[in-house]
Amino acid sequence: MTLTLNQTNKPLVPLKKKSSGRLMILGFLSPTLAILLFMVAYPIFSLIWNSVHQFSALNLNQEFKYVGLENYTYLLSDADLWQRFIFTGKFVFVCVSIQMIIGIFVGYRLQRSFRGRDLIFTLLMMPMMLSPVVVGFLWRYMLNSEWGIVNYLMSLVGLGQVNWLSQTTPALFAAAAADTWMWTPFIILLATAAFRGIPDTIYEAAEVDGASPAYVFFRVTLPMSAPVLFIALILRLIDSFKQYDLFFALTGGGPGSSTETVSFAVAKRAFNYFYTGEASALAVILLFIIIGLSMILVRHLNNMGEKN
Amino acid sequence: MQDAKLGGTPNFYRAFLLALFGTYIFFNLGPIFWIIISSLKSRADLFAMPPKWIFDIDSTGYESVFGVGAARGTASAYGVTDSLINSVIVSSSGTFLAVLLGTLGGYVCSRFDFRGKGDFLFFVLSTRMLPPVAVLVFYHLMFARLGLADTKTGLVIVAIFANVGLATWIMKGFFDGVPKQVEQIAVVSGYSRMYAFVYLVLPMVRGGIAATAGFCFIFAWNEFAFASILTTTQAKTLPVKISAASGATGIEWTQIMSAGVVLIIPVLIFFYLIRKHLLMGMTFGILGRS
Amino acid sequence: MAKVELKNLSVEFGAFKAVNNVNLTVNDGEFVVYLGPSGCGKTTTLRAVAGLQTATSGDILFDGQRINDQTASERNIAMVFQFVSLYPHLSIAENIVFPLKARGFKRAEIARKLDWVAEIFKLGDELKRFPGALPPGTKQKVALARAVVRDPAVLLLDEPLSAIDEQFREEMRWELGHLQRELGVTTIYVTHDQREAMSLADRIVLMNDSQIVQVDEPHNLFFNPNSIFSGQFIGSPSMNLMDLKPVSGGFRLGDSSIVLPEKIVPDVVRNSAIPVRMGVRPRDVKLVDEPPEFGIEVAVEDVFSVGRERYFSFRVGDEIAQGIDVRSTSTGQGRNVAIRPEGLVFFDSQTGNRIASKGTDV
Repeated sequence: MTLTLNQTNKPLVPLKKKSSGRLMILGFLSPTLAILLFMVAYPIFSLIWNSVHQFSALNLNQEFKYVGLENYTYLLSDADLWQRFIFTGKFVFVCVSIQMIIGIFVGYRLQRSFRGRDLIFTLLMMPMMLSPVVVGFLWRYMLNSEWGIVNYLMSLVGLGQVNWLSQTTPALFAAAAADTWMWTPFIILLATAAFRGIPDTIYEAAEVDGASPAYVFFRVTLPMSAPVLFIALILRLIDSFKQYDLFFALTGGGPGSSTETVSFAVAKRAFNYFYTGEASALAVILLFIIIGLSMILVRHLNNMGEKN
Repeated sequence: MQDAKLGGTPNFYRAFLLALFGTYIFFNLGPIFWIIISSLKSRADLFAMPPKWIFDIDSTGYESVFGVGAARGTASAYGVTDSLINSVIVSSSGTFLAVLLGTLGGYVCSRFDFRGKGDFLFFVLSTRMLPPVAVLVFYHLMFARLGLADTKTGLVIVAIFANVGLATWIMKGFFDGVPKQVEQIAVVSGYSRMYAFVYLVLPMVRGGIAATAGFCFIFAWNEFAFASILTTTQAKTLPVKISAASGATGIEWTQIMSAGVVLIIPVLIFFYLIRKHLLMGMTFGILGRS
Repeated sequence: MAKVELKNLSVEFGAFKAVNNVNLTVNDGEFVVYLGPSGCGKTTTLRAVAGLQTATSGDILFDGQRINDQTASERNIAMVFQFVSLYPHLSIAENIVFPLKARGFKRAEIARKLDWVAEIFKLGDELKRFPGALPPGTKQKVALARAVVRDPAVLLLDEPLSAIDEQFREEMRWELGHLQRELGVTTIYVTHDQREAMSLADRIVLMNDSQIVQVDEPHNLFFNPNSIFSGQFIGSPSMNLMDLKPVSGGFRLGDSSIVLPEKIVPDVVRNSAIPVRMGVRPRDVKLVDEPPEFGIEVAVEDVFSVGRERYFSFRVGDEIAQGIDVRSTSTGQGRNVAIRPEGLVFFDSQTGNRIASKGTDV
């Protein structure tokens, strides 16, 4: 029954000086910076260096001619290449928008516990876990116009048969379907984690405030998850621009070169024709596009974060 | 703590949403089911039309993956065990380090403002923008020069490099969701920032760490492009061998499917192990009763 | 404004009974405080009233109507939570009007109510700012404003001041009490801080171990605790408790050699056969110079200050008792201590229930 005068029973650690913040920054960032610089510097410089020369990696003994921007002008005047850009753009747009919508919707349904939720969630992650090449071949198998299951199921329902992989437009959708199948779980995982990270008390306060579930979702859940979702968007965008494995397995770029993405075109030039300088230039162009788009999105992301 | 009950929505609307959800589950799991079945079919059955649901199990695919049975000693045998072990080691180490660096980096970028922060973040993000096909050759040359070609260390470095950008950005996103108040209160109560970071903030972003680890493991595990060019014999990882399958004698369907199924198992195990952290909710128990 | 009734309310989590058969009536406009140690069930009871927790059995009634099956949004309640309940992505103004917007109020009405509430809470300057930039005290004010803007029938508060500095707590306590009286809204407030309860409540509902121990006005709870638990929980510094052993001429306190004169003790205690534990608050145990009418002789061990008050302590067998010291005296043997007989409370040692008390103040 004695009065305890000092109520704190936590050990008092002396306050570190202000410079601990600075130390933290340096310490936490330097390893990352070191590795990235190490891994990025050489390839980037080599890439740019190669892009202003005309040579072939195959015949290294032969000419390594400086050609200035000739590679770039050559590429940019190639009409077929512009088709590649358009094709890639269509593919990216379709993939990313569908994946975001489905991913957020499924994340919404998975955020509250229900029987079997954990199991379903883990199962839904599976497409993402498969090797990209395997996914490509799987869908190639499923989409085959003669013995593929997709056409079979469609015939059961009364829809006509589609020649998925040997025509450009169906192939675009086929690839988009495969990419969506594989990567929507990425969005689902991030969305669910973000939604679940919102404190229960916020949801309770909203319920007490009389908000309907839809109101809560659009006015509270989504805005609070916006940073993570936006990052998911940016990451998916960048990745889908680089998509190569799928097209390699599904169509090999055909018919002709109509289902080649820009990434595929780079690979073809580099490893099929060994026009190394040209391939490098194309890679640089692609890089510029990706960087440009990302900058716009990142700026938008920063504006979102300003409020807090 | 009970999940907050959300009030009722009209039943028709609810049924519709449920149907959509069900459709997606079918879309998602259908092909998985299909690949498992297909990996067990004989070549003939694979192309049967209409597709066979009941069939005799043919394990040729798996046999050639493991280099046993009928496929022993054949050209298309893979010899899986050493590859598997290599892959697990490389992927796990790479994941661990990438997540570690990403968490540290993400935290600092979330909490502090410093000159060049925006540039640093964008640079980190840009590492992900390099199309792998374009830079493979350079890595091969670079590693050969440094004596890292064909080593596990080299692969681990690649794994880290490929993922740390992703890790940093995702973790920053999650740290941004933790109110700065948490550390402020702790500091005012006499704790150091480090203490606050490790014991207060980190537990709150467990979900983010788990998600990041999951992604990094997947990407590392499937490091197809990089590994195939970088390594020759010793440090070969499994995904590499799959691509070899599609080259030589036309498409070896069963082998690819079988290899795919085998490859997915370590990832599944990994996700099963971290499932609790993936789905955690945020409880505010640190400052008082939960 | 509504009358809230809890009838045989129980909330169970599996085998664990968090709330065990609680019966209570809160009158319209009353300020009731659920008080008790951590884990006693007070918060769970509150959440059951709110609709955030399902009652396992029993009834919850608002104005006589059973509302068990209504969800939290359907009940006309508002709640202020202990931590973080403001929407971080919305400004203060948007936070406050959120419940109005969510329920579809008209824009003019919303503007009017916002002005009214901003006036009461003096939040005019802060309206455009965001929760992240505000100190906890202001944040809870905003939470309160958001709760009040809807004119709810019942206002529920779950330890709203516990995360706030002591300094501001007193000020907010006063404001809260003042506000409640002005608005006249039925209020249920949960806390583990008995000083808070004593200063705010019209009536206190003291809970322990999932059950109600005592429901009373603060005044009564202080002077007439119905059990050892009540006596000990209320009052700071806490009540001295000693066993009484009958000896010739009086009662021995615990294992000490101190003897309490017979005349201090009420008849019913004197004549009872059951072992008795006596409680006396330090404020009723005074150090005096001359032997008092009702008093004992003790050896003062220690003299110390807590805030403005000076206290002394003395041994009763193994335990230490405390009393107040009117002027500075040092330790020593054979000191005279006056005991105010009206401040004595007697409990049954075994059940802990009160046997007798005079229970009045000076």
